[in-house]
Amino acid sequence: MSGVLIVLVLALPWFGALIVGLSGGGRMAWAQHTLAVLFSTLTALAALALLFFTSSQPAISLAFGPAFGDLTFVADGLAVSLTVIASVIGALAVVFSVDYMRGEEQLGRYYFMVLLFIGAMNALVLSGNLLFTFFFWEITALCSYGLISFHNDDPKAVAGGIKALIITQIGGVGLLAGTLVAFSALHSYQIADLLAKANTLPMPVLSLIAFCFLAAGAAKSAQFPFHTWLPDAMEAPTPVSALIHAATMVNAGIYLLARFYPAFAGVPGWALAVTVVGMVSALLGALMALTATDLKRILAYSTISQLGYMVYAIGVGAVFASQFHLLSHAVFKALLFLAAGAVIHSIGTRDLRKMGGLGSKMPFVRDVFVIGALALAGLPIFNGFWSKELVLEAGLQNGPFWIYLVMLLGVGLSAFYSMRVTRLVFFGTEREHLHIHPSGVFMRIAMWLLALGTLTTWLFVGTFSVLLTHSLPFHHLEVVSTLGMVADVLFAPATWITLGIITAGVGVLALRQRRSTDAFPTLEWFDTLTESGFGFEPLNHKLVAWTQRIATILQKTQTGQLNWNILGIAGALLIVLVVLWWGR
Amino acid sequence: MVGQMMTNALSFPWVMMIPLLFSPLVYLAGRLGLQTTVWPQRSTLVRALALLAVLAAWMPFVFSVQTFLAGDKQEFAIGTIWLRVDAISLLLAGTVLTLATAVMLFSGAYMAGETGEEKYYATLLVMIFMMIGLGCAGDLFNLWVWFEGMTVSSYLLVAFYREQPASLEAGMKYLVQSATGSVLVLMGIAIVLANAGTLDLAVLRDHGYGESASRLALLAGAALFIIGFGVKVALVPLHTWLPDAYSQAPSGASAMLSGAVIAAGLVAMLRALGTIGLTADLRALLLAFGTINILVGNLLALRQTFIKRMLAYSSLTHMGYILLGLGVAMYGSELGGQGAMFHLFNHMLMKGLAFLAVGALVYGLYQQNGSCQYLTADDLAGAAQKYPLVALALSIALLGLGGLPPLAGFMSKWQIFVGGFQTQNIWIMLLVVFAALNSVLSLGYYAPLVNAMYRNSASVAVLAGKSLPWTMVLPVLVLALAVVALGVAPDLLSWLTAPAGTILVAMFRVQP
Repeated sequence: MSGVLIVLVLALPWFGALIVGLSGGGRMAWAQHTLAVLFSTLTALAALALLFFTSSQPAISLAFGPAFGDLTFVADGLAVSLTVIASVIGALAVVFSVDYMRGEEQLGRYYFMVLLFIGAMNALVLSGNLLFTFFFWEITALCSYGLISFHNDDPKAVAGGIKALIITQIGGVGLLAGTLVAFSALHSYQIADLLAKANTLPMPVLSLIAFCFLAAGAAKSAQFPFHTWLPDAMEAPTPVSALIHAATMVNAGIYLLARFYPAFAGVPGWALAVTVVGMVSALLGALMALTATDLKRILAYSTISQLGYMVYAIGVGAVFASQFHLLSHAVFKALLFLAAGAVIHSIGTRDLRKMGGLGSKMPFVRDVFVIGALALAGLPIFNGFWSKELVLEAGLQNGPFWIYLVMLLGVGLSAFYSMRVTRLVFFGTEREHLHIHPSGVFMRIAMWLLALGTLTTWLFVGTFSVLLTHSLPFHHLEVVSTLGMVADVLFAPATWITLGIITAGVGVLALRQRRSTDAFPTLEWFDTLTESGFGFEPLNHKLVAWTQRIATILQKTQTGQLNWNILGIAGALLIVLVVLWWGR
Repeated sequence: MVGQMMTNALSFPWVMMIPLLFSPLVYLAGRLGLQTTVWPQRSTLVRALALLAVLAAWMPFVFSVQTFLAGDKQEFAIGTIWLRVDAISLLLAGTVLTLATAVMLFSGAYMAGETGEEKYYATLLVMIFMMIGLGCAGDLFNLWVWFEGMTVSSYLLVAFYREQPASLEAGMKYLVQSATGSVLVLMGIAIVLANAGTLDLAVLRDHGYGESASRLALLAGAALFIIGFGVKVALVPLHTWLPDAYSQAPSGASAMLSGAVIAAGLVAMLRALGTIGLTADLRALLLAFGTINILVGNLLALRQTFIKRMLAYSSLTHMGYILLGLGVAMYGSELGGQGAMFHLFNHMLMKGLAFLAVGALVYGLYQQNGSCQYLTADDLAGAAQKYPLVALALSIALLGLGGLPPLAGFMSKWQIFVGGFQTQNIWIMLLVVFAALNSVLSLGYYAPLVNAMYRNSASVAVLAGKSLPWTMVLPVLVLALAVVALGVAPDLLSWLTAPAGTILVAMFRVQP
């Protein structure tokens, strides 16, 4: 049964992608919307059904020859939970798109990429063969490129797309190298083999694999020092941002680290490196979100920060907490992006400085956005509260104390920026009079379901725990019951410390706003620092500029003068002779 | 039974002879029709005959493959000229025939009405003959003769537009540089003959040179072969003829040059180096050339706005990948050799496809409107709206060249990389990582082209573009399908690439 369902969660989106991509646009647009919703919903249903058939054994195995190994698909708890997230949130993003993308040109290309993306993400996590994990890893990179630069008449969108592609691909080289090292040592691409035999590998080999994978995961999940691509990916249509930030793409990096944690935990320095990467990302993301004035960029920075918490959790060995936070984050971040999309769709700008007081005009969007923002801030009963507490508790118990303190500071900052953005968009005074289009019914359905999820997904923590525990033989997780988790969190002193910090964050915001009437105080050095991505933005630009300069210089060697060309031949002969003589 | 054995055993010569025999027929059909002027459709006949020649050559090729798969030896002697068919010969012949079929069909409309159209086809057929012959040459001197034959016929194709100064200039540069290379090869052959007393490839491979041969002289011979054939393989810094030649030739000829001629040059270099042995001295050199080619090709392509020149530079990069695979094979990894041979075939598919698709756009955007301009990156904007199939095919070609799955280029690069890591040599592993980073760099110029084709606002050229005949679209689509098929099922070709890899390792007498 699980074999059939695996085929369905892969074939439905890909087949749908082809059908929608090939069906004509123009007056047939309604058919494209309908088909996309149909195929993505079916995928989501198949993924949900797969929840009941998890197993640690491969369900499908296809031979591909000596250089490529067997393509296997393993529907274990980790893979299936990510498949469900990708498919269900992907389907909601598609439903949202019906309204959001109405009247856009080239819908076929849009839905083709979206469905391909969902299917590739499912394949990435289900694959039991590292080569094919890399294979689908690259396809998700390609899809994100295509979608980020979907509005490809806009040079900013084109630049954002290529930046995402190049940076995540550079990280992808880490996955490639790690996979090749593992293959040359074990003569197998099977993930299960690597997990089982990690102890038998010489330590230098294992640590090479471990750090290569860390680079790949950090690039994919926009973690320090690869965090610069995610904010620029905001040029994508908003449902795509939801897809990239919540359902697919960035989750792949967390998945990779979580999947191989048992193999790499013993590598000296690896766990600490993961923890530090998570910490720095969590802090930088939160700082960058403090003063930004672009609605989507704030959400993007917060994604970097929240992903930092997940990476941190893996670093301190709390794989379950990281996956639980991933689930919560996927739901509330998708909600926030879709709500932000509804706002942007209504008023036609992403600039916070033009918003304000929109709450009374779009109460529904305000309500769901507030739910999402409270979850992001980590306030009780929302799903973000429970998962963040689990992460921090694990950090306090197993991680270095000073890193825990930094993470606490990050919690305060996230409370500050999430409340700030809510207030600037929906409350306060109107800064500019804007004409408002009402949001459509498909938008509301998607947002309503996600808001419901934000309020309730934490109730399933027990089920989620059983799901992961029973099908991951190498991770040695303990079963957590929902009640046990609730009691645990409520009676832990750490929770109350965190809540205090959150209150402090909100309090600082309130205090500052009472003191000054200016909603956008400028702090010049701080703004320069955050806008430059803490110096990494200029570094990116320099690298590109150097490469281009070298290329331009090299072009001059193409003189077009025959004499020089022949001299090149003669010179090369001389060099080869000398080298061979010398190396004799 | 015996009769069938005979046909099978003798089939390979026909793969070569059919194009050769058709060549004068094609030429005569064109010339005679011209003189009598009674027959306005002569150009249709010329095209049909040329296509027929290639299609007919497929039949003996299939027989020959059957013989090969049955494990029978295929050796032929025409006088004292020996032809020995092995997996590499078949791979080269298959590469040439696949591309030639597509090019012949494609060129029909592209070349229609050009002065000297029949010369184009006749020369192309001779070049096909020479390349297939090169693949199975039995001794070093004949190898050189086939190589020269191929080179001479390719000059005519590069300088085909003889009224255009740029085309003549490109042909001239190509001629002089190739001739320089040929002289060096000839000197290398002389060294081999002086030391071994024979030029027979099989004898040289099995018996080597004995004690009397001077090691220094052999190293000099190897250097001469590497540089001499290297001009055709476009090793940096011997590549300077290539961008001009590829961009000035008619698109069909560019496809043949970039997909097949460069590959034939490489096969010739390998056969010649195989006679020298001295693997331990040469392998690092091949890796070094591979690395430089990958980097320089990418950097030169990065800032290029003329599409055909960009594709020409990207050929440098891909020859670099193939050399990397060969170098790895010389360190004892058979997978690297297989990957190199697989990439050689895939590069033909992808680059041939890219040149044909670009040619189709040149035809639709410029040629039909009576102008002869170069296609630039800006012209591609919005091409998918008017030419959805060609744009899709070109996207597949470019992304495949960039090494993205599920396309053929990913699989063969992967195989080369696996081979590299199998050597367990830290330097080679670093080279592989460097090569992988270069694949990312190459996306920096491939991806924007793909993106541009799907833009909403079309370029002026696209808006004025004319429709394309099916004879142009069909070969492009078939090649695109092949690129996808080999990406999804890389094992489809392993019956040929695996023995070819084995031969490579045997040829270089690798002691792991």
